[in-house]
Amino acid sequence: MTKRFEYSPQREAESEAKVKALEHLLIEKGVIGKNTVDQALGYFESVMGPFNGAKIVARAWLDPAFKQRLLDDTPAAIAELELPSGMAGAEGEHLKIVANEPGVHNLIVCTLCSCYPWPTLGLPPYWYKDPTFRARAVREPRQVLREFGLQLDDSIEIRIWDSSAQIRWFVLPERPVGTDDYSEEELAKLVTPEAMMGVARVVAAAAGG
Amino acid sequence: MQTCFEHFAATSMLGCEDAPPRANGSLAFARPWERRAFGLALALAKEGYFEWEDFRQALIASIAGWERSHAEDDPSWDYYQRWLEALLGVVERAGLLDAGALEACLRWGPQAPTAECPLPNAD
Repeated sequence: MTKRFEYSPQREAESEAKVKALEHLLIEKGVIGKNTVDQALGYFESVMGPFNGAKIVARAWLDPAFKQRLLDDTPAAIAELELPSGMAGAEGEHLKIVANEPGVHNLIVCTLCSCYPWPTLGLPPYWYKDPTFRARAVREPRQVLREFGLQLDDSIEIRIWDSSAQIRWFVLPERPVGTDDYSEEELAKLVTPEAMMGVARVVAAAAGG
Repeated sequence: MQTCFEHFAATSMLGCEDAPPRANGSLAFARPWERRAFGLALALAKEGYFEWEDFRQALIASIAGWERSHAEDDPSWDYYQRWLEALLGVVERAGLLDAGALEACLRWGPQAPTAECPLPNAD
């Protein structure tokens, strides 16, 4: 991680001490338990997030029968995997995946609201809610993807999937070349939220060695 | 549709001026205390000690206050400093701590655990 800002060391120490003291005092007073904060954070860090989507994608790459079931009935196929409970409930039940393939590239947007497949993709990036992105992605997807650094040949068809309260789409990207000997876990590490939104490809080099 | 509190809380902020920094679908914390401060606000609201919306309004007010007294491109801007200020405000208004308890605790400093404030050691 590059350091974007320099922080004043004194202010840093004060803030750290304040937060530590606050949590400590609240636990001492019985306001919260020792694990309350970790449990709240756990939702974002291990229950719902892009790691779920990455697991689904990696499995689909390795298991063609699973991939077919995933395309036929996304929630049912996801339920086969040992993912945190709740994946199938709440908003997870509306998940639907679309697969990239040679000649076809998929892109998810949400032109009406800002529906986003949280359980598999995590928190949406700030631009996803930007009306300009949503409008332009529908009007001129090729240009928008180019601005994301994704050059698609004119022969490739771009399909736009507009999420709604009923269906939240996400993309099954193509497995990158040069990953034949990768394990499921290694493959999952390559999968980014951007790739599952369709604004990026999965590349083997993304693993960072 | 049932939505869990954590989901609701983060969703309510996204796309608004008080949206937390994030990267690759996850919350982006530059320093460990930011993560604890985020979790504390979430946990306390989830337990019902204050409304999430009250915290959000405190955060928005803190951000607005900073913006009034700083140039737009002031590099000392720090989202989680504002978050912490908002958090301390709602905790105080909710009466969760005795008056002066935090100050008394801080006077000893994080490196000096005492009987009055046996702060856990730095991790």
